[in-house]
Amino acid sequence: MSYGPLLFLGILFTLASSWVGLVLIPQRQLGALEQFTDTNTAAIYPQARAGQAQQGAEQYRALGCIYCHTQQVRPEGYGADITRGWGRRRTVSRDYIHDKTVMLGTMRTGPDLTNIGERQSDSSWHFKHLYNPQITSAGSVMPPYPFLFEIRPIGPFGSSTNALSLQGVFAPPVGSEVVPTLRAKQLVEYLRSLKSSGDLPEAPVKKEETK
Amino acid sequence: MNSTTASKALKALLPGDFSNETGRRAHLAEIDASCRVPVLFFFLSGLLWLLIGTLFALLASIKLHTPEFLAGQEWLTFGRVRTVHLNTVVYGFASQTAIAVAIWLMCRLCRVPLIASGVITVANLFYNIGLTVGIIGIFAGDSTGIEWLEIPKYATPIIFVSYALIAVWMIIIFRLRTERHLYVSQWYLLAAVLWFPWIYGTAQVMLLVEPVRGVVQAAINWWFAHNVLGLWFTPIGLAAIYYFIPKVIGRPIHSYYLSVLGFWSLALFYNWNGMHHLVGGPLPAWMITVSIVASVMMLIPVFAVAINHHFTLVGHFGKLKHSPTLRFIVFGAVSYTLTSLQGVLSALRSFSEVSHFTHHTVAHAHLGMYAFFGMVMFGSMYYILPRITQREWPSNRLISVHFWASALGIILYVVPLSLAGFQQGRLMNNAAVKFLDVVQFTLPWLQLRTLAGCLLALAHLAFVVHVGWLLLRMLEPYRKPVLNILTGGEIPATTEK
Amino acid sequence: MPVISLILLGSVLLLPAAALLSLRWATRSGQFTLMNRAALLPFDDEEPIGQATDQILGDNRR
Repeated sequence: MSYGPLLFLGILFTLASSWVGLVLIPQRQLGALEQFTDTNTAAIYPQARAGQAQQGAEQYRALGCIYCHTQQVRPEGYGADITRGWGRRRTVSRDYIHDKTVMLGTMRTGPDLTNIGERQSDSSWHFKHLYNPQITSAGSVMPPYPFLFEIRPIGPFGSSTNALSLQGVFAPPVGSEVVPTLRAKQLVEYLRSLKSSGDLPEAPVKKEETK
Repeated sequence: MNSTTASKALKALLPGDFSNETGRRAHLAEIDASCRVPVLFFFLSGLLWLLIGTLFALLASIKLHTPEFLAGQEWLTFGRVRTVHLNTVVYGFASQTAIAVAIWLMCRLCRVPLIASGVITVANLFYNIGLTVGIIGIFAGDSTGIEWLEIPKYATPIIFVSYALIAVWMIIIFRLRTERHLYVSQWYLLAAVLWFPWIYGTAQVMLLVEPVRGVVQAAINWWFAHNVLGLWFTPIGLAAIYYFIPKVIGRPIHSYYLSVLGFWSLALFYNWNGMHHLVGGPLPAWMITVSIVASVMMLIPVFAVAINHHFTLVGHFGKLKHSPTLRFIVFGAVSYTLTSLQGVLSALRSFSEVSHFTHHTVAHAHLGMYAFFGMVMFGSMYYILPRITQREWPSNRLISVHFWASALGIILYVVPLSLAGFQQGRLMNNAAVKFLDVVQFTLPWLQLRTLAGCLLALAHLAFVVHVGWLLLRMLEPYRKPVLNILTGGEIPATTEK
Repeated sequence: MPVISLILLGSVLLLPAAALLSLRWATRSGQFTLMNRAALLPFDDEEPIGQATDQILGDNRR
């Protein structure tokens, strides 16, 4: 007589229970969520991301932005997510169906980015902020990302249209300019695409609040 | 019966007259010697990764209060340095030392020498190749972006195969055991080696090979990430505590019933805990509620373990002074209780509202992974290394430096950061406080954390130097150890009262 | 939906049933009465109960 088989079964059964409960059932319940079409306005939500923004999500992943920024808004009255203006409603499962990698995050060294595209739609703000966060947000602990930019001499036809307008200590040496690389553009397109505030039956946006 | 034939076939593989009724009991020294090469390989590669992980921990810590520090190089950006730190200490240091301790404990408790130990050595080699490829991948920007699972998918199969090989070997040792009864440590070890490939395999397939859609990813992510703590590190850590406390003080565990209760309640509840990392998140309320309930139920195994260890130790605290193993193990056992209680607290909705998304969670993770698990592994190494190398630790002073620097370092890390993290959460939940002011509030605490990190780095250096010194002694001809540590020392009269 | 309910119902019935069966087997085969023997497993003739090990620091070291 041996303990072995009993132990073996017990060990497998206990884990099987949560495997069914927290992996299999959620997949059945949420894995096939579809876009929602508002029957009154024919608006479809959420929309898939455009190509460049989609590529930007890969930059966001590769640089590890998730370790300081969340992409989830907690319900009203639970934390100050909504009063801080990080969203007009809580986020729900349907908001994330288009994300290749869902990057909810667990740390807010920096602010939540669920709706950063709504709060900051200006690309030049994002470029400056990525080049050196101190330009736009003095006192921030976000690292600068100079490697996403190219510092190059100004050409014979004057500075490029997409060169960053930088003053004071942040300005590049005289005669040169700072231009975003393709990766910076992708990342900024992604950040500008971050908007999770469509009206959903499971998470309605309060109409009064926006007046 | 089929299983007995299998056992007989396995026993035929053993050298010598081991399968004889008369020669059944292998000597301790013989078992220790059979484990020497693979266990040493796992310990040494684990320690190498510990040094690398400590270096990147310091870089990440400095970067968090001085963002311009080394910011020009892409591969040294915070998001990658932090990820490399986590993966090197979790999969490099913690997992590899855990495997070594598990193999040695399993052989000792089953009273069989390790058979075909070359297989484990090969598994170690593959494991380190896989991990190195994975870490380089993270530096290069191939991180999967999934917490605790960042190693890219081209590296994980090698690691998985290596784990599976070790699991199979552990089960073989288990089947060969010459003792019908099982000690509670064996339950934990067997469970850990069966659970880990399952959770790792599930996470790999459903997140990387064939990714599921939407927030199910987050559910699986935290089901895995919590289980890697609860079903891999915790059982191995507890197995070591359950073995070493009785072994060092020479007294059986206080209540065997309590230890069995602890095992099964941990097995039942721990694996349901994961969703408490997503309180307030975009998942169905039932999932999060289930996890909160299971987290509270964790009080049962935690108290069972804590009471049991305390009553085993009562009257023997004097031995802490003389045994490095006991010092580290008891520090780890106390931290296990503390981190579990903190974990239960953090799972509650009202507490999580404040502590979630703050440095409180970071402090909690280090209380669990370092103050509990890391310290237990250090303690185990202090016991195992002299026995498998047949050499004594050369320096008491280095042991003291290691113990005090790591103990004070982790206290200085966890206590202030837990409190500061909670205050950070309170400020963040007050919309009247500007976000940048919250950031500024955390700065002095993050600087203090860097200081604590330096103490930990000092501790690790002392330990690695000491291990190197011990190994150098293997080059010298074997002398009988001055102290009879291999068979156990005399109990000093002062501690006998 | 029915699949989920089936899985749920199935696991709700099966898991406790398995647990009960194991418990019955364990009590009948005497696993619970011999527990004290299991607690002695870390010890043997070479290192019996009452013998402390690893006492290498402090006064004990010369």
